[in-house]
Amino acid sequence: MRVKVEQIDACRWRIPREGAMRTDGLVFASRQMMAALQKEKSQALEQVRNVATLPGIVGPSIAMPDIHWGYGFPIGGVAAFDAQEGVVSPGGVGYDINCGVRLLRTGLSIDEVRPQLARLADELFRNVPSGVGSCRRDLRLSHAEERKVLTRGARWAVEQGFGCAEDLLHIEEQGVIAGADPQLLSERALERGRNQLGTLGSGNHFLELDLVEEIGDEQAARVLGLFPGQVTISIHTGSRGLGYQVCADHLQLMQKAARKYGIELPDRQLCCAPLSSPEGKRYLSAMACAANFAFANRQLISAWVRESFARVLGKSPEALRIATIYDVCHNIAKLETHQVEGQARQLCVHRKGATRAFPPGHPDIPEAYRSLGQPVLIPGDMGRHSCVLVGTAGAYEETFGSTCHGAGRVLSRHAAKRLARGRNIEAELAAQGIQIRAASRATLAEEISESYKDVLDVVSVVEQAGIGKLVARLRPLAVVKG
Amino acid sequence: MNSFRLLEHTADMGIEAKGDSLAALFRQAALGLRQILTCCTDIRHREEIQVEVRAQDPEELLVNWLNELLFLLEVRQLLPADFVIDSISDSRLRARVQGEFLDAERHFLEREIKAVTYHQIRVEQRAGGWRARFFVDL
Repeated sequence: MRVKVEQIDACRWRIPREGAMRTDGLVFASRQMMAALQKEKSQALEQVRNVATLPGIVGPSIAMPDIHWGYGFPIGGVAAFDAQEGVVSPGGVGYDINCGVRLLRTGLSIDEVRPQLARLADELFRNVPSGVGSCRRDLRLSHAEERKVLTRGARWAVEQGFGCAEDLLHIEEQGVIAGADPQLLSERALERGRNQLGTLGSGNHFLELDLVEEIGDEQAARVLGLFPGQVTISIHTGSRGLGYQVCADHLQLMQKAARKYGIELPDRQLCCAPLSSPEGKRYLSAMACAANFAFANRQLISAWVRESFARVLGKSPEALRIATIYDVCHNIAKLETHQVEGQARQLCVHRKGATRAFPPGHPDIPEAYRSLGQPVLIPGDMGRHSCVLVGTAGAYEETFGSTCHGAGRVLSRHAAKRLARGRNIEAELAAQGIQIRAASRATLAEEISESYKDVLDVVSVVEQAGIGKLVARLRPLAVVKG
Repeated sequence: MNSFRLLEHTADMGIEAKGDSLAALFRQAALGLRQILTCCTDIRHREEIQVEVRAQDPEELLVNWLNELLFLLEVRQLLPADFVIDSISDSRLRARVQGEFLDAERHFLEREIKAVTYHQIRVEQRAGGWRARFFVDL
């Protein structure tokens, strides 16, 4: 069924409240993006509308310009629910709980790295497990250690010698979400987690070396330690099988809970429970475990990146100067306080393929960056760009302090494969100076640049809407895919 | 009549399965899942694992059955070749998963399926048989 959409301005569209909707939908998109959303078979706009039917939603059901068809919630969706009257939905977070991005800076310029780029890509591909079923044989977690990972997050990894305390200062929530109770996880979730800690996974997850191509805000770039011609590293992964199992377990519980609390669902994947209910509280606590697992995962991978650079370039850590700029979650539900119509309200903000983007001065931003706004890391596709942004007051006022999370897919995997047929994607990227190492040819074909919107178009809408501010534009040099 | 086909989705993939009985439908859905995971045809019947799944309704049963297969693959490394549904009702399934343990020399997994979702899930009986439609998260 076609969804009714009204244009508000050049980058905002309203899906007016009707039927079972409790509020409007608000979609950030250019005219071209909206035309594509309406034309294709995609059901992303229906999904924005469906989220608007959930009890206790506060403000509109929001979609970022990287919106695409998800399962239940759209990808690129943001929805806030009242802590007393609202719900929490595992489908509003997704299977890959705390899937996110970490950006590391180096003290190296492209000239120092270029001659060793192929070796670096080989070494990263070897040293960081990627692809289905891979794991580090030297990392075996006992049951007791796994429980510590779930409660201590990135802190656990640092305590084990992976990285330094300074990394923790530059991670959302400082790398650990409070309230995690491993007792709430099924044996299956724990089992799936034990041999998958420290793995990248597959699909759209990656490890990437980038070049800082252009600076959009010099002062902010200086504070973040970014300079033109610099080499940076991005890590995109999440909570692996442990997170998937936590989500699956709680979706099953929430199917029952939704019936018990009389919540009508337009799509079963939206199943949910009141935030104040035992089911809702248990999910948030289990979700925190998986989120902490993901923080530890990115922390371990960062340590192996540092190790790989030292090995290939033969330089000391002091010479490499690899440091965490920031680490963001883009699949998460968070209890936050926001001003709604002049009143401070406690809300549970679901970000499903969306990034927190708190404004300058917010106390949850690391002190070093507080005057700038929260760093926001937006990866694009493997052939074009990625962007570093900072959060804005506009995002805080309009989107519960949220912005986009990536480029957003436009092609189905089938369509991407058709487009890639007969082409040598590796050679095409190599001709652009990009080294690719991929565990799966299918993944490579499905992840071609054409599968995604141009991230610069997405960021342009974000900037125009005032829900994010561009600091730097990066270009890929080497990409490791699962 | 017994068949499956893959459905397009922007980020993920879907499966539409048909079967002349509920048991045949669940086998076809599992074969569809296997096709998304791997294009290997050389999977031998060396192991057989019995599974039992329970649920509140046929849709949930389908999700739990397929997620069970993902668990067996990920944790027990069992790459399935075929599925024998021994008994099935709306709320309970007993089956044997036949296949072999992953052998890196011969097998290659093309994709990781994170989970089978409830998004727009349907299991329905129509004139002439059963149909299911569901999406997986990749």
